[in-house]
Amino acid sequence: MFEMFEYDFMQRAFVAGLFIAVLASISGNFVVLRRYSLMSETLAHSALVGVAVGLVAGYNPLWVAVGVAIASAWLIEYLRSAFSLYSDAILAIILSGSLAIAVIIVSLGGAFNNSLFSYLFGSILSVTNEDVMTIVTVGSLSLLFLLLFSKELYFIAYDEEVAKTSGIKVKFLNFLLVTVVAVIIALSIRVVGSLLIGALMVIPTVAALQYRVGFRSTMLISLFFALFSVIFGMSLSYYYSLPSGATIVLSIIVIFIISLIVNKK
Amino acid sequence: MKFKVPIFDVKNLNFIVRGQTILQDISFKIFEGEYIAIIGPNGGGKTTLIRMLLGLQQPTSGEIKIFGKKLKEFKEWYKIGYVPQRATLVDENFPATVEDIVKMGRIAKRGILAGISKEDKEMVEDAMIKMDILNLRDKMVGTLSGGQRQRVMIARALASCPKILILDEPNTGVDMVSQQRFYTLLAKLNKEENITILFITHDIGVIADDIGRLFTINQKATICNDPKKMLSCEEVSDLYGIDAHALHHHKHEH
Repeated sequence: MFEMFEYDFMQRAFVAGLFIAVLASISGNFVVLRRYSLMSETLAHSALVGVAVGLVAGYNPLWVAVGVAIASAWLIEYLRSAFSLYSDAILAIILSGSLAIAVIIVSLGGAFNNSLFSYLFGSILSVTNEDVMTIVTVGSLSLLFLLLFSKELYFIAYDEEVAKTSGIKVKFLNFLLVTVVAVIIALSIRVVGSLLIGALMVIPTVAALQYRVGFRSTMLISLFFALFSVIFGMSLSYYYSLPSGATIVLSIIVIFIISLIVNKK
Repeated sequence: MKFKVPIFDVKNLNFIVRGQTILQDISFKIFEGEYIAIIGPNGGGKTTLIRMLLGLQQPTSGEIKIFGKKLKEFKEWYKIGYVPQRATLVDENFPATVEDIVKMGRIAKRGILAGISKEDKEMVEDAMIKMDILNLRDKMVGTLSGGQRQRVMIARALASCPKILILDEPNTGVDMVSQQRFYTLLAKLNKEENITILFITHDIGVIADDIGRLFTINQKATICNDPKKMLSCEEVSDLYGIDAHALHHHKHEH
């Protein structure tokens, strides 16, 4: 099994993958409990616009994806607060709109090729040293924020109004949370793919919630599930030449089904 | 003097939404150590008033001062413990033990970078003891009964050592026995801990024995310093617009 680590690209993919598993599962706890699950999917599609711009214009797609995902997250928060629109309707509009824009940019730029496919579904072959550095540095800052404000974010997830009346800066923290989630999603699309990262963020937490334990334990269980599915999924990807995003997500779905059956009331 | 420090000072509060007056010219003061109940019909503006006191909604006009400071300048929110109406209707899947919830009461007070101090632990434990839920500390909050959840929510509010507890119809989803126990606990917190109590209720008969003042809110506010007198059936009928019979529960006979 360990022969795959003889290759540099697998070492890079595992470092990036494991780091993303940590980021996605920890942030996923807040995403799920805040009922933001569909938001992760929407931001992943927005990040694809950044990838398309990066590919066509010749910039690093990862950085452009980070920028576009953040802008999209802020736009969603603004639309939520400024207009009386249904939250899920806003997300659906931005999700489909982003995908449409990405496809048009890529089509016009003639960049509809394997490179884009790897951003859609993830590819362990495509992770560069620069990607690993970006994921580790920017990801560390995101993780620091999540851990620093985890108590406050947990309180807001439980009851936003009571958190506000306790003096917690709810609006500011909501804003920061969606920004960090946007960054994590954009960082993850190299390994997991923009169409599948939402699953890695949401499913480990939903699976962990089936065990009905406290917050800290739920977070640790979801982290374990995410790490396991990334290791197992990337190994499958290596041995069967399959897109890594798909194998990772199918692994976590199997874990979710097992968790559901084991904890059936 | 017991009633020296004003906690809330409300002057000429008005709230109008789409041309409809919800609250009109409300003025009152609440002092430390008071025990006040708010009654009134549904849609009369009780919850709106509470939300304005907590800064969750902005009045159309008027002024609210908390501990002598204008609402926007007030920062010491930990001095106010709030238990919302739907507090007992918790998401059963939410990953929280009783202790997790009570600890939330200490978050705003201790700041971002600070870990859980010895004082935090003591205050959390003390709040659980006061609410008689120490034996439930490791239980998932979603598995508790309505009455137990109610005590957990009050313990969370108490953990920040508040000067005032504000409760919005706290007995929603709570059985009769737990309701009686709840009123005894509120009275005890007021008398023994000198915590000011302000709560919305429909249990107009039960509250009469303990409360000091009664606010009736139906667009306008009527403040009564003799709640038992106020709770005559005629007054209640006028307020609710129906024939009402105030049932006086004598809790000491239970």
